[in-house]
Amino acid sequence: MNVSPGGWRQWAVKLAQHASWVLPGAQSPWAEAMRRELDYIEDDRAALRWALGCVLASYLASYKARLAGPLPRSSSSSLPRWRGKVRWGQGRIGRGAVLRHAATSGAVMLLIGLALLENAGGQTEPPRPVVNEAPCDPPNISPDIGPTLSSGTVSVPRDMDHSAPKPDTSCADRVTPIRFPPKYPKR
Amino acid sequence: MPRKPNNSRQARALLAALLERAQTWRHGYDLAKETGLKSGTLYPLLMRLSEQGLLESRWQEAERPGLPPRHVYRLTASGRALAREQDLAAIAAERAGALA
Repeated sequence: MNVSPGGWRQWAVKLAQHASWVLPGAQSPWAEAMRRELDYIEDDRAALRWALGCVLASYLASYKARLAGPLPRSSSSSLPRWRGKVRWGQGRIGRGAVLRHAATSGAVMLLIGLALLENAGGQTEPPRPVVNEAPCDPPNISPDIGPTLSSGTVSVPRDMDHSAPKPDTSCADRVTPIRFPPKYPKR
Repeated sequence: MPRKPNNSRQARALLAALLERAQTWRHGYDLAKETGLKSGTLYPLLMRLSEQGLLESRWQEAERPGLPPRHVYRLTASGRALAREQDLAAIAAERAGALA
């Protein structure tokens, strides 16, 4: 799946907007700072990588802010209560915000998956070479030491085409000769 | 044993880059390219240094028309002192390693 360069840029902008949305109010200038740097990055893929980092940084900052200070949603009354179905908009979490959050999280997952797919493309095992080698004829061996078939005869099909060119089975290119031990050991 | 703050490899790289041109206002992408840090590492560090009063920041108007103002950074006096201290410590560690 290919994404056009303009597509990368659009994703980068959306991710940077999401980073701005994640960061709490006191730290929003930092989100704005990260987002504006995008306009100075000419390469679209570099912009996307930058935006992914912005999302990560904003989530980290948001998490630290929640740990350090009083939680903005610590009061149980401000949370939407579970009464069989969610009542959107009664707490501080709006329906649009939740949907936007879910959509952006899905988009981030999709982007990570695409990046992994692209990286994995170059790591597949190369095809193995096909071995196309004709079997060799046995070397010229005297009949007294040569192997003999136990059955004694070999059947040849009648429709065998003898006019077809035979494959080169001389094995002239083989370097190592086949040696048989002498019939009787030398004394 | 408590960890020393701003003593990670990334923090030291950032402090060294900022100290190199201490009087110049630097922007995030420039620092990222110089230090090799990703934005997800760089900005949490910048935020932390700023919270600790080691870094000052401001908005700078763009040099080219049509581009938005940028957030730029430079070390404060205490930030410079810390960066020099870490620089000296790194040199001392290198010398100790060379002698060993």
